[in-house]
Amino acid sequence: MSAQPTAALDPALDGELLCYCTTLTFGELRAACARGSWPPPGKERTGRLCTGCQGDLLHCLRLLGVRPS
Amino acid sequence: MSSELAALMSATFHEAGVTHVVELVHQKDAAAHRRLASVRVEAYDAGGTRRVARELDPGQETLDLDALLGGVGREHGRLLVVFDARYDPHIFPYRPHHYAYLHRPGSAAPPLYYAVNATLGGVPDRIGAVALNNFESYLFLDRPLRERYALAVGNLARFAAAEAEVITYYGGERCREEVRLAPKTHAEIALAAERDGHRLRRVELKTLFRLTSYVVGRRQDDLVLFDHLFTYFK
Repeated sequence: MSAQPTAALDPALDGELLCYCTTLTFGELRAACARGSWPPPGKERTGRLCTGCQGDLLHCLRLLGVRPS
Repeated sequence: MSSELAALMSATFHEAGVTHVVELVHQKDAAAHRRLASVRVEAYDAGGTRRVARELDPGQETLDLDALLGGVGREHGRLLVVFDARYDPHIFPYRPHHYAYLHRPGSAAPPLYYAVNATLGGVPDRIGAVALNNFESYLFLDRPLRERYALAVGNLARFAAAEAEVITYYGGERCREEVRLAPKTHAEIALAAERDGHRLRRVELKTLFRLTSYVVGRRQDDLVLFDHLFTYFK
């Protein structure tokens, strides 16, 4: 997997769903990373269920300066 | 979006001129008519450019894809068609399956009825699923192959390109092909029916994250197979 370079995560996406299994939005991901509390309670399995969002999740975590666990 | 709603993103492929009707909600009980909270359809060409985006009436039960996309498909070729549905998990305790009817007008081949590939979502936490569904396989029938087979794959990610591994098995021979898909792009990978006298027995698709994928079989111009793959590990 590789990702297209993007300078920052576009705030216009904040209301959109990133993970369709845990219903995590891009905005919730951004807020959790800013608080240093990624993953938030109940969202621990983001990217791990259907796996369809895992590429975008890793991409966004890199943009937000968080090392995926 | 209400946090009470669940979400499912399903996808299929459409070629212009084919009768292709998607059942947006598969009703199981005439006395308990179910409906989605919302459903949106988008269509992308092979290069990942969005050609159609439309909100649908969530009370609508079926969608005639060729009526909606036939003109776009004639201009831009095969389309990746994405359904973004929101639903009440109390109404759909697992998920709202979409099914579809597929037939080329004038074809003597029987029509196909298939389950639309649930690519994002559909495996909510409450289900407790543990199977990896980004490793998939498909077994071919043990009879002479008269069809041309292909694997149709699409990447629904917004940002991440997918590097997929397509592995085919012929007797004892294993053939490997790598496919790279940019976000929202799609491709059809031809699968040779035979190698060194051995028939195609199995295809596997391995990726870091789940793609939209179907095995496609054609006999001359007739579509005789259109089916999703199956998870590799149970």
